[in-house]
Amino acid sequence: MKLSKELEHRFVEELEKHQNIVHKVCRLYTNNQDAHNDLFQEITIQLWKAYPKFRGDSKFSTWMYRVSLNTAITLYRKGKRAIKTQNMDDVLYKVKTEDYDDTEEQQLKLLYKAVHQLNDIEKALVFLYLEDKSYREISNTMGISEVNARVKMNRVKTKLRTILNP
Amino acid sequence: MDELELLKKDWQKDTAEYPQLSAKEIYPMILKKSSSLVKWIFYISIAELVFWILMNTLPFLSESYKENFDKMEMSDTLFYGLNIFSYAVICIFIYFLYTAYRSISVVDTAKGLMKNILRTRKIVNYYVIYNLVFLAISSIIAFYFTITHSPEFSQQLTELDSNGEAFGFWMGIIFVLLLTIAIFGLVIWGFYRLIYGILLKRLNQNYKELKKLET
Repeated sequence: MKLSKELEHRFVEELEKHQNIVHKVCRLYTNNQDAHNDLFQEITIQLWKAYPKFRGDSKFSTWMYRVSLNTAITLYRKGKRAIKTQNMDDVLYKVKTEDYDDTEEQQLKLLYKAVHQLNDIEKALVFLYLEDKSYREISNTMGISEVNARVKMNRVKTKLRTILNP
Repeated sequence: MDELELLKKDWQKDTAEYPQLSAKEIYPMILKKSSSLVKWIFYISIAELVFWILMNTLPFLSESYKENFDKMEMSDTLFYGLNIFSYAVICIFIYFLYTAYRSISVVDTAKGLMKNILRTRKIVNYYVIYNLVFLAISSIIAFYFTITHSPEFSQQLTELDSNGEAFGFWMGIIFVLLLTIAIFGLVIWGFYRLIYGILLKRLNQNYKELKKLET
């Protein structure tokens, strides 16, 4: 009993510290705050279920990337709360404005909008890319070869360019 | 691509952009029940297993079915042999299903996870196909036994035979039988397409997207 309490405590502490990883995944895969919370909840459950087997041979954050992405791409089924009409403003409100001039701000909004139009797999690649992961890590997380990860990433960049400049 | 670099810069500014949850808020979250795809598939698989086991055993609880069955004069060895066979198949399927579920892991690679979920589904599909084939074959055999062992029927058949209409009669019977089996099969198949079409559409799409890279 004491052991499980300890485990719980350690897990919650770690998740609290690294919660932005989960928030970021939710941001990419959902379109409004309700859906964001719903996905966050499911990822938390999956992380907690997998936690007893977490050996610590990889970093907690690296392990979190995997579980979070797997949940968002494969395991998550939209809950009742998450089924809502898409609200793009909800997505875009998160763009911080104060540090940018108007053109940059405009550009960022368009970029986030474009990323939201990608499919689940493409979003995962962009996510790992934005998180500054190496192609080796991307290949390990996705289960594809490093070469294919590179090829796919280049295609995603082209696709984004086409969306931005039709 | 310069734009993506701009995005990266914005993305990595780990400021308090997201509403931060406190440990106190996270605790109740880990107690909630998951509603993941795997859970759904698991419950449906169990329902399928139970459904087909009931389909195989329930009829024997009814007296009239038992009487009809006795009339077929099937040998005891054949009867028990078939029974043992069908329960052995159920056990084997449960074993395979169990090991397949155990292989599904959220810490797998994205592709590995999808592959294992689809493999699990496939095992249940095989089980359903096996049951459908078994049902079709056994209904043909049962039908054959019933008509060949019914005195009224053989009398009618002799009459038809003397009129030279026996061939057409048999063809009619076979046609109706095949049609019934086809309609039954189609209904079940449609039902499956509907459930798994809805449930696995996204997974299949994503898996295809990852597989596409290999070709």
